[in-house]
Amino acid sequence: MKSVIGRKRLAAAALGVTFALVAVACSSSSTGASSSGSGAPTTGGTIREEAPEFGWTDAFDPTGEYLGTAWGMMDQLLIRGLMTYKHVDAAQGGDTPVPDIATGPPTVSADQLTYDFTLKDNVMWAPPLSRAVTADDVLYAFQRINDKKLVAQYGNYYCGVIKGMDCAAKDDNQPISGITVTDATHISFNLEQPTGDLLYRLSMPAAKPVPVEVRGCFPNPGDYGVDVISSGPYMIMGQDKLNLSSCSTIKPISGYNVDKGMTLVRNPNWQAATDDNRKAYADGIQIKINSNVDDSFNALENGDLDVVQGTPPVAVLQDFETNPDFQGWLHADQGDRTWYVTMNLLAPPFDDVHVRNAVNLALDKAGIRKAYGGDKRGELATSVEPPTVLPQSQDINPFAANTGSGSQTDAMDEMKQSRYDTNHNGICDDGGACDNILFLGRSTDPWPNMNQVAVASLKPILPGLDLKEVDTSTGYTTLQQVKKLVPISMVPGWGKDYASPYGFDFFIFDSAGIACTAAVNYSLVGMTEAQATECGVKPEYDAYVKNWGPMPSVDDKMKECVAKPADQVDACFAELDTYLMTTAVPWAPWLWATQFTSTNLNTVTSYAFDQNAGIISYVNTSVNNGLTPQNVA
Amino acid sequence: MSQVQQTEPAIEVLVPLEGAPEKVEGRTPWQLFWTRFKRDKIAVGAAVVVLILITLAFTAPAFSKFIVHRGPNDLNQDFTSDISVPLLGPSKVAWFGVDSLGRDIFIRTLYGARTSLLIAIMATGISLVIGIALGLIAGFRGGKLDTFISRLIDIVLSLPLLLLAIGLGAACGASVTGCLGGLVKPGIPLVTGIIALFGWPYVARIVRGQTLSLREREFVEAARATGYGNLHIMFREILPNMVASIIVVATLLIPQNILFEAALSFLAVGVPAGTPSWGGMLADATNGALYRIAWWMLFFPGMFLVVTTLAFNLLGDGLRDALDPRAGR
Repeated sequence: MKSVIGRKRLAAAALGVTFALVAVACSSSSTGASSSGSGAPTTGGTIREEAPEFGWTDAFDPTGEYLGTAWGMMDQLLIRGLMTYKHVDAAQGGDTPVPDIATGPPTVSADQLTYDFTLKDNVMWAPPLSRAVTADDVLYAFQRINDKKLVAQYGNYYCGVIKGMDCAAKDDNQPISGITVTDATHISFNLEQPTGDLLYRLSMPAAKPVPVEVRGCFPNPGDYGVDVISSGPYMIMGQDKLNLSSCSTIKPISGYNVDKGMTLVRNPNWQAATDDNRKAYADGIQIKINSNVDDSFNALENGDLDVVQGTPPVAVLQDFETNPDFQGWLHADQGDRTWYVTMNLLAPPFDDVHVRNAVNLALDKAGIRKAYGGDKRGELATSVEPPTVLPQSQDINPFAANTGSGSQTDAMDEMKQSRYDTNHNGICDDGGACDNILFLGRSTDPWPNMNQVAVASLKPILPGLDLKEVDTSTGYTTLQQVKKLVPISMVPGWGKDYASPYGFDFFIFDSAGIACTAAVNYSLVGMTEAQATECGVKPEYDAYVKNWGPMPSVDDKMKECVAKPADQVDACFAELDTYLMTTAVPWAPWLWATQFTSTNLNTVTSYAFDQNAGIISYVNTSVNNGLTPQNVA
Repeated sequence: MSQVQQTEPAIEVLVPLEGAPEKVEGRTPWQLFWTRFKRDKIAVGAAVVVLILITLAFTAPAFSKFIVHRGPNDLNQDFTSDISVPLLGPSKVAWFGVDSLGRDIFIRTLYGARTSLLIAIMATGISLVIGIALGLIAGFRGGKLDTFISRLIDIVLSLPLLLLAIGLGAACGASVTGCLGGLVKPGIPLVTGIIALFGWPYVARIVRGQTLSLREREFVEAARATGYGNLHIMFREILPNMVASIIVVATLLIPQNILFEAALSFLAVGVPAGTPSWGGMLADATNGALYRIAWWMLFFPGMFLVVTTLAFNLLGDGLRDALDPRAGR
């Protein structure tokens, strides 16, 4: 009898759990915040932000760091260079390099091989250095790039371009023959060949001055990241306490901890009169690490944060779209980024261009976008480069029959021409190549839903697709290993390095982007025989050449385009991209993506977007919360 | 003076009834079990629920094909908003509503039952085979072998189950090629194996204890005297005498394994994408805090999970009471 009573209690408890489930499911955490809208910029206060992680690729060291967010923070807030950007959106010229510590544009020789810069003499390093930024500091930045041990992750933009730079120097104290420092305010660059987009390259963080006082103090990649010395409007809290008297006395700055956050305060030596590109309205910026995204957005809605970047949870997105209290809180800015399905030219059945064409025709881009967060996530892509980087992109649309939701009829007609469709019914049916085709996708929300939509739209022509989902990092590292020969994947996206078509196309389509264990040219466009041998895919390479002829390549066209005068570069890259979309067809691009930024309009009085960095423009955004910056590290 | 009261006799004297002599009928253990079991209404109710669940799970494809005319992975984004919020709650069109891809939650719940029951029953089966074999050997042979197996049981039981399972699931399920050089690949067998890996010690410990007791009983002595070997005694004499305990353990292990599978799938280290599972469906509901808008995404798989585990637990309790009424609780 006792046991029966126990089970009744158990049943009652279970019912309670069930009701609790209903209660939780029916509850809503929406808050009653009200928005006041944006107005004129205000001065003071602190921009409070949370991020799930920093995600640096080189520990925030400007020489090697390859993360767009880091570039934006360095360029806007911390380090001034010869060139910079206006830190505004594309419509206001945010993608165009402008002089920063240079007094004006460089003087360029008639043969386009020499660039002379004159520096302003009153741009100061933050305390404790408190001296003017000089040409030697600029030169030292390039000496760091050239130091083999420091592994400048985009050193190819300078090495082989500037005379004397090969990214193989033994340390950061080796002379560079192609860079001449005449005096503290004059520096010139001598190039190996004309390089139309040099000013873009000089705008990148690795090319921005580093004080010569730290020479030799940070011999390992990433080490300088905890001690970045500021010349911009802000500095990391506690920088003024640094002891720069010797390498051994330099300790990590207290306002930065990669696991906790970063607090920036005003650089007292920064003078607004020397800087046309940074308003620096706020007194400080706090970026706190919080891996719970839901928590961060709740804090934003409750007024405890001013900014959260990235995709909000769907329920929050719904709040932003439907609740008048949150009207205008979500900003969707063009991210200069393309999301795409990559296909491996060496992996059957994708070695056949008809199959690749069929994928482009069948892919339900609109459905994937819907699962990604809807129309605000961006414009459906028709070619590789976003129009904000290459305006002609909007006219490159060889698969126009796919108006967004996929055209199964056209896809099947294309598939019928493939040798892998043995009975010509529009379905890939050649067993060896068409069964168990790995489709690699991301496992993190909302990608599983997007993968389902993509695979469902491709299954009619490729019924053998086998979806495998892995975390983003595993996805990238798998794709980067050439020998894995991943046939098709929706894991990667690609953003520009800088707003020139070359800064978008180079690493992703040039054979230089094929390193055996670190490839970013996942489709292997332009792979050479030597690379195939080195990477262990020679049999597949030989099979491709035997069946389809030489590998499609854009290497020569890339060189041709980059050597063009600036006004002809876009047209040349439009030809290159047309070739990619009609002949090589390594991708099925599906979205020219936007960047989501959410701001609390009760405290954010003006918002701006930094087009070049693809993040909020901290220096042109203002808040009225009246708070003083607190150390979150 | 103390008063002494007259009291009733302490022992009831049984007086034979008048009339025809009473016919004494012997009952088989099965009849005894059934008599006891059917008296326990809650256990019977739980058994009915379990049977219904198993029937639903087996007939899921029929429901899909002939009744709702949708598969578990059929997408219908017309039922979702521009930002993939499910617009269709429980209704005539979709009895349990749809999820953020417009998939029918009713049919996915049924297929989820298939996944859960399949994995739980298979894992329980594997656990039983391993647990019974090792428990019998340890209990019957004793000595160093018993010590070794017992310590192995202790070690496995002391491992942080969920953490290790997540680690294994992530290591073998998160890479494209699986683990152990591609020998173990992501999928239902991997999840089943992981769950079974942690289930057998419970069985082994109980079987060992029972064996230690049974091996001293007279019928074992008799079998030995008759000349039977150890294997015969273990599997033909001892094992049949602990079937009741094993059935009860199995019945209680199944809901535990169902929850384990759901937990792994919820944490995205369980069954692969495209295979409906209750844990995965609960994860879908929490992604993007969707449950705030589409409560049905959380409610129905959650309710099935609760009802299923509860039913198996109550059934297990009932079986224990019926099979071994002397067992303490």
